[in-house]
Amino acid sequence: MTLLESVGRFSIRQAEYIGRLAIQFWYCLRFSVRASPFKGRGLRWKRTLRQMGDIGVRSLPVLCLVSGATGMIMALQAGAELRRFGAMEAIVTMVGTTMTRELGPLMAAIVVIGRSGSAISAEVATMAVTEELDALRAMALDPIDFVLVPKYLAMLVMLPCLTVMSVFSGILAGGVFAYFTLDLTLLAYLSRTAEILLMRDIVSGLVKAVIFGSIIVHVSCLEGFTVSGGPVGVGHSTTSAVVKSIFLVVLADLLCTTFFYFFWR
Amino acid sequence: MTASTRSTTELREPPRQASRETVISVRDLKVRYGERTVLDGVSLDILRGETMVILGGSGSGKTTLLRHMEGLERPAEGSVTVKGVDLATASRATLTALRRSMGVSFQSAAMFNSMTVGDNVALPLLEHSALAESTIQVMVRIKLQQVGLTHVEDLYPTQLSGGMRKRASLARALALDPEILFFDEPSAGLDPVIAAGLDDLILRLKAAYPITIVVVTHELASAFLIADRMCMINEGKILAVGTVDEIRSNPDPRVQQFIRREANEPSEASSSYIMGA
Ligand SMILES: Nc1ncnc2c1ncn2[C@@H]1O[C@H](COP(=O)(O)OP(=O)(O)OP(=O)(O)O)[C@@H](O)[C@H]1O
Ligand SMILES: [Mg+2]
Repeated sequence: MTLLESVGRFSIRQAEYIGRLAIQFWYCLRFSVRASPFKGRGLRWKRTLRQMGDIGVRSLPVLCLVSGATGMIMALQAGAELRRFGAMEAIVTMVGTTMTRELGPLMAAIVVIGRSGSAISAEVATMAVTEELDALRAMALDPIDFVLVPKYLAMLVMLPCLTVMSVFSGILAGGVFAYFTLDLTLLAYLSRTAEILLMRDIVSGLVKAVIFGSIIVHVSCLEGFTVSGGPVGVGHSTTSAVVKSIFLVVLADLLCTTFFYFFWR
Repeated sequence: MTASTRSTTELREPPRQASRETVISVRDLKVRYGERTVLDGVSLDILRGETMVILGGSGSGKTTLLRHMEGLERPAEGSVTVKGVDLATASRATLTALRRSMGVSFQSAAMFNSMTVGDNVALPLLEHSALAESTIQVMVRIKLQQVGLTHVEDLYPTQLSGGMRKRASLARALALDPEILFFDEPSAGLDPVIAAGLDDLILRLKAAYPITIVVVTHELASAFLIADRMCMINEGKILAVGTVDEIRSNPDPRVQQFIRREANEPSEASSSYIMGA
């Protein structure tokens, strides 16, 4: 009975959370239309541009390092195995496809969760605690329109861009490994990578980036909007935004990869 | 004075008056936070063009009542109607439209900390008016001057004192010349001269155009000066509603205790009563 109860309570809570996310997403889409640069004074557009700087440009250096290291680790690990079979050439394929389809988008998402997801939820939660969100509502501005939409649009543009850079740094790191172990020049390595990469790989990576970006912004903002308990709550909401984002991003990654595996070969 | 003539001709039975339109109508509003009942069946009508002052001890539920009238909280029990719109069932879009005619100054000021004071005041104008940006700049300066602030446009809210922030938030609330102004604790944290200046401003606003003002305050002197009608809340219930004179002569000892203890009306030398209480 108590087990049933707690399972029930857990399911209700999860369903409620998903419902909230869905409602927020729906309003966000409706307001996004108004962010056109040609509408009104272009205020929303300007806010979006500022967010792009925050989310995108400043994440770039650390992302390149993380993805480069990831590409290198993969090449090293794969090389250790492939060496035994004398199939070192396969490293090019492995690094190229895995970075493009999988690790490029994932590393970009994780770096952005750490840098921007936490910042977004802290910012929104602080606004909630200091009644700034109420002040927005009271002046007939919807916080979703004013706070969430610029971040969302910025993320939709920036995460795919960051993903491209992430993929590129990973592949480049693999190239460095190939240069020392396969006597492959960087140019030859890159052109071979370009040969083996399919449109499918690139598109699936970018589709993932869009999905991950949506998850990060919506989860982080929802944590901020629903903060409770004053300043202490801000810390909780930040932590919970990061944990939930990582979990949902990995889950979405799994679903996407499964989908592509079965339905788009 | 307009307030006193009005008060003698009407409002003998405060809630219902056919002659003037009711802008905000609160009916049997009950608010609970967990086990705690904060508002316990509050009913209150606010008429167009009047200044209603809400009095009450700390924690008596004044801010909570105000937030329900502003549509920031949805009434769970009872109803709140503003300009004919039931806030419990209004859609998001209807609420937003309604709020364009409201100006709200929060107890905590609630300035946007990421923007300068000037941008704070300019925001409603930029978002909801078609004025040119240069005009808006001028209006921002005028609104800030009205509340006695100059040369603060480029400062951030955290660089202001509490009282200055409070006044800046009033300037922001007044930016769009609202039909209904909500003002939570206007004089908290202000020195007497500036507080008197704000009272003056409210009186001038009343004289200039038919604005409906709902003020929560502790300052009895200011309350008696600006109010057309007052209501007093105690432990989540309305103790008394009426004109200034009616409140002064209200027989309820709790009302008398409240208004004497803080105001010490010079005409009534009954400090012994207070000492004994
Ligand atoms: N969000 C909330 N959650 C729980 N309790 C709340 C909440 N908001 C208000 N309360 C409680 O409701 C009561 C009334 O609060 P309210 O802010 O309305 O008082 P107030 O009359 O404005 O007091 P003050 O004059 O000090 O501003 C308080 O006891 C407070 O603890
Ligand atoms: Mg209060």
